[in-house]
Amino acid sequence: MQATTSLASPATVARTSPRGLSRKIRRRHTRVGLLFVSPWIIGFLAFFVYPFFATLYYSFTNFNGVQTAHVIGFTNYVNLFHDPLFKTSLFNTFYYTACELPLSTVVALSLALLLNMDVKGRAIYRTIFYIPSIVPTVASCLIFVWIFNPASGIVNDLLTGAHLPGPNWFFSIAWSKPSFILLGLWGLGQPMVIYLAGLQSVPREMYEVVNLDGAKPWQRLRYVTLPMLTPVILFNVILQLVLCIAYFTQAQVIENADVGGPGTSTWFYVQYLYQEAFEYLKFGYSSAMAFCLFVISALIMVALFKSSSRWVYYASEQQ
Amino acid sequence: MRASSSRLRRKTARSLSKHATLIVVSVLLGFPLLWMVLTSFKTNTQSLAVPVVWWPHPFKWSNYPEFLSAVPFYRYFLNTLLYAAVTIVGVCISSSLVAYGFSRIRWRGRDVLFQVMVSTLLIPFFATLIPLFVIYKDLHWVGWYLPLMIPTFLGSSVFSTFLLRQFFMTIPEALSDAARVDGANEFYIYSRIILPMAKPAIATVILFQFIYCWNDYIGPLIYINNQVWYPLSLGLYQVLGTYTTNWPWVMAAATAATAPIVVLFFFTQRTFIEGIAVQGTGVKG
Repeated sequence: MQATTSLASPATVARTSPRGLSRKIRRRHTRVGLLFVSPWIIGFLAFFVYPFFATLYYSFTNFNGVQTAHVIGFTNYVNLFHDPLFKTSLFNTFYYTACELPLSTVVALSLALLLNMDVKGRAIYRTIFYIPSIVPTVASCLIFVWIFNPASGIVNDLLTGAHLPGPNWFFSIAWSKPSFILLGLWGLGQPMVIYLAGLQSVPREMYEVVNLDGAKPWQRLRYVTLPMLTPVILFNVILQLVLCIAYFTQAQVIENADVGGPGTSTWFYVQYLYQEAFEYLKFGYSSAMAFCLFVISALIMVALFKSSSRWVYYASEQQ
Repeated sequence: MRASSSRLRRKTARSLSKHATLIVVSVLLGFPLLWMVLTSFKTNTQSLAVPVVWWPHPFKWSNYPEFLSAVPFYRYFLNTLLYAAVTIVGVCISSSLVAYGFSRIRWRGRDVLFQVMVSTLLIPFFATLIPLFVIYKDLHWVGWYLPLMIPTFLGSSVFSTFLLRQFFMTIPEALSDAARVDGANEFYIYSRIILPMAKPAIATVILFQFIYCWNDYIGPLIYINNQVWYPLSLGLYQVLGTYTTNWPWVMAAATAATAPIVVLFFFTQRTFIEGIAVQGTGVKG
């Protein structure tokens, strides 16, 4: 740290052209900067770069964590391709994502719109709307399994009261996935708060302008609010997508405690990966799954970012 | 006169309908928690009664002491606190250093590296897990919290680093300049000037890390295999598997794990909500 004494200030760096700054000082800046971020660089190499290549290597072996690994070529990938449970778990994850992603966007945005209304006691409503998200995930699983209990749960009791047939929810092949989706929709506090912050940063003048043109509420939403909100929507969609692809905790808790998830109707991808790796110690096979997971999520992210230029509106670009 | 009173009436009606909508949604969202608490005070027979009995009668307070003597919940509570305390120290040290390097010093490649760091958020936890597990096993770290603690000292909490960086960038550069003129080195500026100013942001980081640990299920599931070291999340899971026939106990366990964190949320709401909103501002930059 001694070497850093009397550095030229970063502010000066900004003002003078890069050429105006001596190479020696610039190199010193780089050294000090790297020194500060070095904990993360070490972490990045150890927890991302190494595991990435190691996963790729394991995926071509029959490694089981005990014996030495033998390279077996593409066998794991070929087996994966013929594994019905791999396809089922992939399909279920896709199903969940395809439902949860649009639904969570609509619900979180609607909640934020409700909270953005001009009424007294907004802070109280915001607190109530947020609380489900603070409930620990495992506890929320316990609660949902209980209120959606087919025999003595409150939801089916209310449905019976309304002369509606109560499904078997987590226990039924047809209803188990919708049950998980409902559970997911209960805890959307985080995207809701981000949407609310986004709504509050839409300039008031924009509404005043369209109001002069006699815009109706839904027109204000369609032509002002939503376009201005697209960067926030993209951000939240990415956050939710990461959660959907890695969907694990809820399915694992509810299935392994034997309180739902019939057959393979709620086998999710990561759950299958977990079982192959940590219950059957098939590290080679599960590494192939992990690498596929990496490729799939990378492809989806790239597609999302590519498409975003067509539907995301950045106000700052227009100025 | 008439026109103004009808306008007033219309305004009241609109405000009432807004409140009605908000109240209905509040009831829908709050109901599962209310039901959890109500069930935790019922007798087992009452909880299974059809049609459902809404109000506990009699109020069976003893569900809590009974269940707490059957399951070592205090132990799980202490384990969770230990896990949270150590990782909070790790996150505060490493994330603040890294955030400083990414915001208060200008150097070549800084912004590219920062983008690399943020993009690691998109990589699923399980995509990199297996080789790490193998290493930790060879190191004999599996079975305790070390695999979950050590990474936090190496900037693994990208969210915290991001949040601190956003905050550091709002501190005027002139402050650092003045110190540099006086001959202070960067570490001095970091520890004596920037960190003391960043107390609110650090409070947010501590809060989020605490909640993360309280909630974390996957990490302990993979690395903690001895019941003595279970955190609350695994303890709860175990309760569900063991006492599925006794729902008042299961709900008492859920209440015991939820209540402290909800109370914490009540007292730290502002910090909390602002911390989340900052995440959203990152996309607009």
